[in-house]
Amino acid sequence: MKIPFSWLKTYVSLTATPAQIADDLVRLGHEVEAVELPRAAVKGVRVGLITSKMPHPDADKLSLLKVEIGEAEALDIVCGASNMGEGDKVPVATIGTSLPGGLVIKKGKIRGEVSCGMCCSEVELGLADESAGLLILPADAPVGAEVGEYLALEEAVFDLSITPNRGDCMNARGIARDLAADAGLPFTDVTPAAVAIDAAVATPSVTVTAAQDCPVYMARAINGISLADSPEWMQAALIMAGMRPVNGVVDVLNYVMLTMGQPMHAFDADKLSGDIAIRAAASGEAFAALDGRELKLHAGDLVVCDDSSVIALAGIMGSEPSGVSDVTTNIVLESAFFRPARVSETRRTYAMVSEASMRFERGVDPLMVATAMGQATAMIIDLFGGSAGEIAVCGDATAINADRTVLCSLSRLESRLGVEIPQATDEVLARMGFTLSRQGDALEVTVPSFRHDVSIPEDLSEEYARVIGFDAIPTLLPPLATTAPAKTDRSIHDAVAGGFLQVVTYAFISAGEQRLFVADDGLDIALANPISDAMSVMRRSVWPGLLNTAKRNLNRQQPGVALAEQGRTYVRSDRGHDEENVLAWLMTGEVESDQWYGHARAADFFDLKGAVDGWLALRGLSGRFIADDSILGLQAGQSAKIMVGRVEAGRIGRVDADLADQFDIDAPVFVAEINLDLLPTGKQAKFVPLAEFPGVERDLVFLFDRGAASDAILNAIRSAGGKLLTEARIFDLYDGKGVPEGKVSLGIRFTLQDGKRTLTQADSDAASSAIIAAMDKRFGAALR
Amino acid sequence: MKSKAGLFTQSCLLVFQGLSLQKQAAVFPAYDREKSQKLSPKGFGIMSEIDALKAQLESLQSEALAAFSAAGDSAALQQLRVHYLGKKGALTEVLKGVGKLPPQERPVIGQHVNLAKATLSAALDECEAELALKGKAARIEAERLDVTLPGRNKSPGALHPVQQGLDEITAIFAQMGFAVAEGPEIEDEFHNFDALNIPPEHPARAMHDTFFLKELTHGDDAEPMLLRTHTSPVQIRTMKRFLAENGEPPLAVVAPGRVYRCDYDVTHSPMFHQVEVFKVDRDVSMAHLKGVLKHFLSTYFEKDVGIRLRPHYFPFTEPSAEVDISCVFCAGKGCRICKGSGWIEVLGSGMIHPNVLRSVGVDSSEFSGFAFGLGVERLVMLKQGIPDLRLFFENDVRFLRRMGVSK
Ligand SMILES: [Zn+2]
Repeated sequence: MKIPFSWLKTYVSLTATPAQIADDLVRLGHEVEAVELPRAAVKGVRVGLITSKMPHPDADKLSLLKVEIGEAEALDIVCGASNMGEGDKVPVATIGTSLPGGLVIKKGKIRGEVSCGMCCSEVELGLADESAGLLILPADAPVGAEVGEYLALEEAVFDLSITPNRGDCMNARGIARDLAADAGLPFTDVTPAAVAIDAAVATPSVTVTAAQDCPVYMARAINGISLADSPEWMQAALIMAGMRPVNGVVDVLNYVMLTMGQPMHAFDADKLSGDIAIRAAASGEAFAALDGRELKLHAGDLVVCDDSSVIALAGIMGSEPSGVSDVTTNIVLESAFFRPARVSETRRTYAMVSEASMRFERGVDPLMVATAMGQATAMIIDLFGGSAGEIAVCGDATAINADRTVLCSLSRLESRLGVEIPQATDEVLARMGFTLSRQGDALEVTVPSFRHDVSIPEDLSEEYARVIGFDAIPTLLPPLATTAPAKTDRSIHDAVAGGFLQVVTYAFISAGEQRLFVADDGLDIALANPISDAMSVMRRSVWPGLLNTAKRNLNRQQPGVALAEQGRTYVRSDRGHDEENVLAWLMTGEVESDQWYGHARAADFFDLKGAVDGWLALRGLSGRFIADDSILGLQAGQSAKIMVGRVEAGRIGRVDADLADQFDIDAPVFVAEINLDLLPTGKQAKFVPLAEFPGVERDLVFLFDRGAASDAILNAIRSAGGKLLTEARIFDLYDGKGVPEGKVSLGIRFTLQDGKRTLTQADSDAASSAIIAAMDKRFGAALR
Repeated sequence: MKSKAGLFTQSCLLVFQGLSLQKQAAVFPAYDREKSQKLSPKGFGIMSEIDALKAQLESLQSEALAAFSAAGDSAALQQLRVHYLGKKGALTEVLKGVGKLPPQERPVIGQHVNLAKATLSAALDECEAELALKGKAARIEAERLDVTLPGRNKSPGALHPVQQGLDEITAIFAQMGFAVAEGPEIEDEFHNFDALNIPPEHPARAMHDTFFLKELTHGDDAEPMLLRTHTSPVQIRTMKRFLAENGEPPLAVVAPGRVYRCDYDVTHSPMFHQVEVFKVDRDVSMAHLKGVLKHFLSTYFEKDVGIRLRPHYFPFTEPSAEVDISCVFCAGKGCRICKGSGWIEVLGSGMIHPNVLRSVGVDSSEFSGFAFGLGVERLVMLKQGIPDLRLFFENDVRFLRRMGVSK
């Protein structure tokens, strides 16, 4: 909301600078988004008296002027305008002045004649968008004075962000009242001029059937107006306050709203049929709004109607047909109090915002309903003529928010604020409209009708805090309790320690992306009001987000990426929904680059598997990777489920090449995920004595059928090797020359160890024989 | 000398080629015989037996010393040690000649032999040490590296700057005795709004730009579910749980998490991170709020930052305050980032509204509390000088690597 400084000054004689006022407003809780200086750029333009006017010898349309600006010599100025004459006073931009349009005035010659300045029009001064000639100043303008000062063009405009609880401050009057109370300056309220009532003008017939939503409604007819544009000063003022001039009547109503806070509406009386009724809308009732929208109303919406149609959505917007137009001569003015919650709900239903709804939602001052009616009537008649009838009044404004008293304990308020509340602050609150009385620790406060937001002792503590100033409250550390330190989740930290870059992607993805890794089972959770289709479904897999991130980075010339993300996935469940805590990885492209010690290498399945294994090992867990060709979106033969204990805790694999291609990624892409909620807690390591006797290592090389799983082979070796076998691993894998088709050669190294003795050749021979027998029996594998 | 040394070296080579110890033994005696014949006093018939033996010893010693210094490696030296000083070595051969001497002369020549033995042994040790030094120096030279070549290293990972911020912020409050709590991101209207004193028609509700979820409802009234717009619902959930377990305050909680607003432009992300902090106890005051804020902000920004509270409005706190810090870029002098004001808004705070305490069953006439919610991205941007919110969610790996460098 924008409020020109000059408006505030009509209520209170403020002498402080705009910057100081801005600081005061902030301290009082009115956020100042900006202090605009719309007319600060006219310095150097002075009042000039034209003492002579001669035609330019070489140009028909130019004149040679001598202009007095209160200095020793009059200025010679060449001027292209024609509406001025000797004796006129005009604004003169002197040499060095820079005008709002960017023009800097220099001494120069125009068609051979010297010109030492420029006479200005309103356009050149930034006062209007168009003008017919020079701005002719009043005859009594003092020669030589700064035009900006003389015309009071200097103006500051406060752009305020009024909090939703302060409906009373959505206008110049309310802000001025706060400033006056704070500064201890007198507040001069504006009283509307008396209006002569013309008995010939019929009083509108009004019935209110929804009194709860509309406790006060006033209507008045004004007949016979000659509608014209509002005066220039009003249009300029409205523009400064951020509103667009519309027509004379609407401009007056906006002006009254901006200064006094009461939104009003005007109907074209000739377009109404019959009586006015304020009632709840019928379901499906049609409404043609002023903004061009055709609405089907909901039962419960509060509407203003005539006998044939809805003429306004109460407090939000009038109807298109009933509005005031250029040809309007008879009007009906409306001034009312609508229940804030009603206006709020309706305007949100239709996603409509108007200056009126913003004020009704926050709560207007019920006592201003009549005052604003008087002020608007007086201004309309003054500007456009016409005669006013009696006001039709429904409801009692004085009954709204009446007699609200808050009782509280001063010491309780002080304990909450952590500061003493001096008696003097009561006077400031009194100037803000509160009535206070202290009886020892007991405080009794009567709240003015316009302060909808104050009803409990805590509200008063805020009023006191504003007045005392938050800066005056001391800064104290509370006594601090100690708590047992929570176990921090190290999941993503450990993934990062494995060389992965942590990313954070949005929790919503596109419906198409959702289907890449999760079959349609009706358990998706979609947003009702997504930002876009690309962000419309709550993710059930982190992989699409990682793929998009990989795509973006590969497009930016990265040779490869290793990414990890920890976040939630979301799915419908019997409980309504579940949020699962997931850790996901993605690797693609180079994992090693060309270096002096080696060549570039692209990521493969085992790079990622190793990372996941390492991550599990850090938490005292180990995973079994069980080949699974049925994982949606992953390539059969390069994908597995990850079993941790008896739990299927995750999945790993290569992204289907066609699917990766959709993300413009040519290189193989590997992804993995672990559901952290399913993961058993790893066992804290327990001390085991270190072996004292040396172990024996043996190598055996077998020919296996292709397709034999190494974990099954190693498991078989572990059980065949007996208790002494402490480790078995595959140290060589070969299927090249010399290995028969369909076979693969695996070199297996195993270690035997006994904690109590040194092992002998016989021990290792026995284990070897057992293993060789087991390999033959289980896999049909022979020593190579 | 030269030719002898050359000859000897040759025979040494032979020895090495022979590989086995037996073969070595077979070679040396043959050589010995030849030499001792050459030097035999009988052959000349001029000297006395003892002088001849002495001469033989001297000649043997000088021959040995020359051979030692010519030896190329420690293996060769070892062969020489055996050859001259071993049980069947050259010196022992000389001692065999002692038998021909008169008994009174025998100890004299024995002394000579022992002396020669000691001399040769010392010389051998010296040569061995010298050779070892030389050998090591040569090895070091051969193994010299260009230590400026890049190390063999996997590119390191990096924590996302938002994660770093979350970790830092949470840790500061945890150190102050605040317990860490979490809550669901998909919330119901009660926890996100009603319990926080934001009834349905409240204008503040509209300002939250809430994402609602399709066909996901809660309770008998089939209230729509939504994505939480702030971490404040954790306040409600944690207080309810805590009170159920402990009966009454005090409690102090820090709750980090993701939140969502239906707002997407240069300065707004539809998903961002907040940390909710609150404390409820007897006699908690606005002064305590300021104390905790001051401590937190100064610790986080690693300098004594000025703070300013401005009255504001939040439905869930009363009084409410926006909190500014003195601009960390210009030290409060006024710059582009603080729009010349010297202050930067960092968070919203206040004393918990009695309606909020009531909604979880805390008696507001006995207990009071403060609460505030801070935007993690905003704090990280200010601390790390990150100019654009969108960088956090673009996840450009160059940005992540750069910001992942921890001090
Ligand atoms: Zn600054």
